[in-house]
Amino acid sequence: MTDEYVAAHVQEAIAAGTHELGVRVDVRGGVVVLRGQVAAAGRCAEIEAAARAAAEGFQVRNEVSVVPLEEPAGGETLR
Amino acid sequence: MIRIAAAGDVHLGRETAGTYRPRLEGLPDRADVFLVAGDLTRHGTPEEGRIVAAELRDLGLPVIAVLGNHDHQSGAQDEVAAILADAGIMVLEGTGTVLDVAGTRLGVAGGKGFGGGFAGRCASDFGEREMKDFVGVTKRFAARFGAALDALDCDVKVALTHYSPSADTLEGEPLEIYPFLGSYLIAEPVDAAGAALAVHGHAHAGTEKGATPGGVRVRNVALPVIKQAYAVYELAAV
Ligand SMILES: [Fe+2]
Ligand SMILES: [Fe+2]
Repeated sequence: MTDEYVAAHVQEAIAAGTHELGVRVDVRGGVVVLRGQVAAAGRCAEIEAAARAAAEGFQVRNEVSVVPLEEPAGGETLR
Repeated sequence: MIRIAAAGDVHLGRETAGTYRPRLEGLPDRADVFLVAGDLTRHGTPEEGRIVAAELRDLGLPVIAVLGNHDHQSGAQDEVAAILADAGIMVLEGTGTVLDVAGTRLGVAGGKGFGGGFAGRCASDFGEREMKDFVGVTKRFAARFGAALDALDCDVKVALTHYSPSADTLEGEPLEIYPFLGSYLIAEPVDAAGAALAVHGHAHAGTEKGATPGGVRVRNVALPVIKQAYAVYELAAV
């Protein structure tokens, strides 16, 4: 399958299967690369599983990470 | 000084229940109000609505929220909004509210908003029924949102939406999806009302800071953008 169609199918599978819409899917050098940030580690794994199922025969590189959630050090003053 | 804490795209679900609230402990000391810019849930189920309510209730400061597209996914958006309202969270949808912050009246108007794109590169209200429906949703929202902003009897106005009023804060997102991330139609009423700040979420890969065409500051507070539990913006009191 053409890389671009694979990327589109993977994106669709992630949206339908995990409801994560913020994942960037690209096929680079024959590898499906997933990028983005999600709220929990478990979701990275779900996304990867959905991508692997939709991209049979392709390697998947999962670069999706978890959003850090510390309280802020300070604010921004708007003048 | 009015201190506005804001966060969007919390995307809470069963597996993250109880994880956000501990990050909000310092809120009452750091801010006067907490604005939540939509995508509170993952799938928009009532169960997730209850999880969000538990995270955001009784935080020790007023909490004002709008829903996002994810909160509409299960068709239970009204029930989710009602669950939040029962927990004391004010949910805006083309509506507004005024709070007293140490003698300054802070007005917040907002709602989910919708897409369409930005001036010169946007969807037009033309052609097929489906296209007109798409643009019509944003147009009708903008009209209600504008009326809500106008009706605020206050000293300082802040706009709160899920979809973006500015292309600036989408920087980092693929250009091709800008029309699904926001609309200039949301910015027009913000400019007309002379708002001091417009806060939105939805664009997880976007940029925090931007401005409307009229120069109103826009802040994208999606958690993956601000990379902290919430951001704080300090506005001069009047
Ligand atoms: Fe989101
Ligand atoms: Fe969203």
